[in-house]
Amino acid sequence: MWPFALLALVAIYELVAQAVISARVAPDADWAAAATFVRGELAASDVVIVAPAWADPILRRELGDRIPLAAAGRSDLAAYERVWELSIRGRRAPELEGARSRMEPAFEGAFGGVTVRRFDLGESSVRLDLTSSLRDAEVRRGARTCAWRRNAPQGGGLGAGPLTPAEHFFCGPEPWLWVGETATEDLALQGRHCVWQHPAGTEPISTTYRDVELPGRVVLYGGIYYLHERDEVHGPVDVRVLVDGAEVGRMQHRDGEGWKRMEASTREGRGDVTIEVTAPDPNMRTFCWSASLRGPAREVGE
Amino acid sequence: MRPRIGWLDHLLGALLCAGYVALLLGTSADLAMSRDESFYVTAAQDYARWMRQLWNDPDAALTTEAIDQGWDYNHEHPGLAKALFALSWIAHENAKPDGGGGSAAAGADEGGLFASDSDAFRFPGMLSAGLLLWLLYIFGARVFGREAGAFAAVAYALMPRPFYHAHLDCFDVPITLAITFAVYAYWRALTSRGWIVIAGLAWGLALAVKHNSWVLPGIFLIHYVWMVLAARARAKRDLPVSARLVTRPWWLVSLAWLGPPIFLATWPWLWHPETMLERFGWYARFHVNHEYYTIAYLGRSWFEPPFPISYPFVLTAITVPLVTLAMAGVGIAMRARAMLPGLLRERVWKNGDVEPDSPHTDVLLIGCLLAPILMIALPSTPIFGGTKHWFTAYPFLCLYAGLGVVRATNALRHGVGARLPASRWTSRVLVSALVIAPMLVQTVHSHPFGLSHYTPLAGGVPGAADLGMNRQFWGFTTGSLTEFFTEQMPNGGTVYLCDMTPGAWEMLHRDGRLPRNVRWSASLTNADFVMVHHEDHFLEVELQSWIAFGTTKPAHVLTYDGVPIITVYENPRRRR
Repeated sequence: MWPFALLALVAIYELVAQAVISARVAPDADWAAAATFVRGELAASDVVIVAPAWADPILRRELGDRIPLAAAGRSDLAAYERVWELSIRGRRAPELEGARSRMEPAFEGAFGGVTVRRFDLGESSVRLDLTSSLRDAEVRRGARTCAWRRNAPQGGGLGAGPLTPAEHFFCGPEPWLWVGETATEDLALQGRHCVWQHPAGTEPISTTYRDVELPGRVVLYGGIYYLHERDEVHGPVDVRVLVDGAEVGRMQHRDGEGWKRMEASTREGRGDVTIEVTAPDPNMRTFCWSASLRGPAREVGE
Repeated sequence: MRPRIGWLDHLLGALLCAGYVALLLGTSADLAMSRDESFYVTAAQDYARWMRQLWNDPDAALTTEAIDQGWDYNHEHPGLAKALFALSWIAHENAKPDGGGGSAAAGADEGGLFASDSDAFRFPGMLSAGLLLWLLYIFGARVFGREAGAFAAVAYALMPRPFYHAHLDCFDVPITLAITFAVYAYWRALTSRGWIVIAGLAWGLALAVKHNSWVLPGIFLIHYVWMVLAARARAKRDLPVSARLVTRPWWLVSLAWLGPPIFLATWPWLWHPETMLERFGWYARFHVNHEYYTIAYLGRSWFEPPFPISYPFVLTAITVPLVTLAMAGVGIAMRARAMLPGLLRERVWKNGDVEPDSPHTDVLLIGCLLAPILMIALPSTPIFGGTKHWFTAYPFLCLYAGLGVVRATNALRHGVGARLPASRWTSRVLVSALVIAPMLVQTVHSHPFGLSHYTPLAGGVPGAADLGMNRQFWGFTTGSLTEFFTEQMPNGGTVYLCDMTPGAWEMLHRDGRLPRNVRWSASLTNADFVMVHHEDHFLEVELQSWIAFGTTKPAHVLTYDGVPIITVYENPRRRR
């Protein structure tokens, strides 16, 4: 009888499992209900995230108007004081692992198949988001100032890399020598909100923020566009962070390192912060960084 | 005792074939053309023009220039399948009231043999799938009996991935038919001299369809040596050897004499003596050194060797209905003793009632089942094609699944015996329902997202997304968005296609599924809508849309079992 028993067992398993899988799919109405609730509670310093990550387009369909580029392409949670997690299938967002080990959610509720949790991380350590403040900076190629210009966004398509935004600094003459706020696909195939600052060789491309408050730390993430990093055949990119012309931090990014973090201490007070990028061989060094000036680190979410 | 196959069996096979082709034609319109299909449409149209020229002016058609003009495009694959697509399209065009004229701009609304131009190009592929069921029934009936053959055919028909591919004007299903037929012909040739010539013809046709057929003689040779050594061993021990067994390698002579000439005869691109070798060398090098495309597997995007050995095994496990795999396991277990070399069998499995037949059919079948999977498992073999590159293994898997079902039926009948009313038929009906229901449910559920479908073993589509499996390729899922685009752009507009080709988009126009004023755009930033087909490494298109349109909020998300398949962004310019 065992062949028949096996057949019956497998057939019933497949039929029941298929039905369960279909039944567990959160309908659009559940997403909409959860989003409506969160929208009503959302504060300016909140961020909304989703688990599992593959449901991100659905989250943004519902709440994309409240998820700006900086939030969608975040490198960490430091800029946010409260995190709303929408989850399905019992999944939890990996970036909240630290928070979960230290605190209970301040809110938890179910909207059909979508569970909403809120974690109150505390006051943000971020005092200035350099990525989003690029318009206020000065950009130079060597000693030459790069002009701010505005035209139609350029590029796009598979294999094309980060899009050139409508507004950016243009250093040229090579078309890729611009500095602008965009989004890149990093080595882990994560989207990162960042400032494109392609090196021009050993002549530095530098972005300087004049007379900004220095809260004590600068945190910088940087990486190369996926297609140009994955083969691990190109040379390194050197990044220096300077305060009033003096180096406070340095990072060398090598292929294979992905979205790499660097943290440096600065004095407190006010000063000029410069991010300088060079590369011995700038070929395919499609470097993009995301940085912020931060005060003392809080316990969770960094 | 193997059954004698007669016309009633072929009638049943023909009905299976016709029914499946009708089902494929009835469901084809749900699937937009895939990338590769669109390339083959272009090739088929070139071929068709050349064929018309050959008909009207053979001297002009046979010049070097005319042949190159007609056959140069997509010369990385041989000509036969695309020639069949071309002939089908010519027939479709000729059936139009105005004769079609071979114009690519002609649309479905102008009549023709098929409901759409896409169906015309796809029909030979669909027919291949139908013929494969017919062949599987006959092959299975001859090897394991009629019930096994019938279940083998049904098991193949109701595999979600092959069901998707069976719709297409591609080579993966035609080559599965061609290779299965070549194996069948070789197997018949071992006991019937009349089939020796057919074996050579069949291999030639397989060569003319796709390059994976080049390995067949190697598989046959291993089997042949096994069979001959076993026959000699039996003869040495004065054991009977079937007098019908053809132990001389006439099949090899047939393959050598007929295979390459058919390959050449069906591919005019190789007809010029002065370029033949150079072009054949290019063709061989193209496939030996094939480019690697990126594909996600277990949370990693693979783009260069070494590729994971587990890939074809895991993908088979989570895309083929488990009931098919389980019954194949039962079938293989039943015949396992017959797959062992004689000496080993006598040592480790002395007592058993399963003996190999004279042609050692089980060794051939298991070899044909394992060879394609093992080839893909090699770390150097590209894996970008998903499961389709080892489809040629599935007919043999299904043959054993058919045998397993028969075994399950017999087990029920003997186990329950007289307690079941009309136990023979009751057990057949019960087992049939148990086997077919899960296959049917999954195949129906997979349409029109065939390449996105995963079985419950992976947790279904959401489970596979959790595991980091590839969600689709070729951009065919655009077919599920035609209504959306039509509604959104009543006065026309443009769409950036992401992974879809302009040729595939054009087929939506030709088939009457999209208004002609809804056009494709080469520019992402200027398009009214941007599609993002969700493959992990296509994320960059989504990020580019955010920057171009200044928002992260999609206009629409096409989902399958709650998993995003295509996300659509709208250019805010449209709202101004």
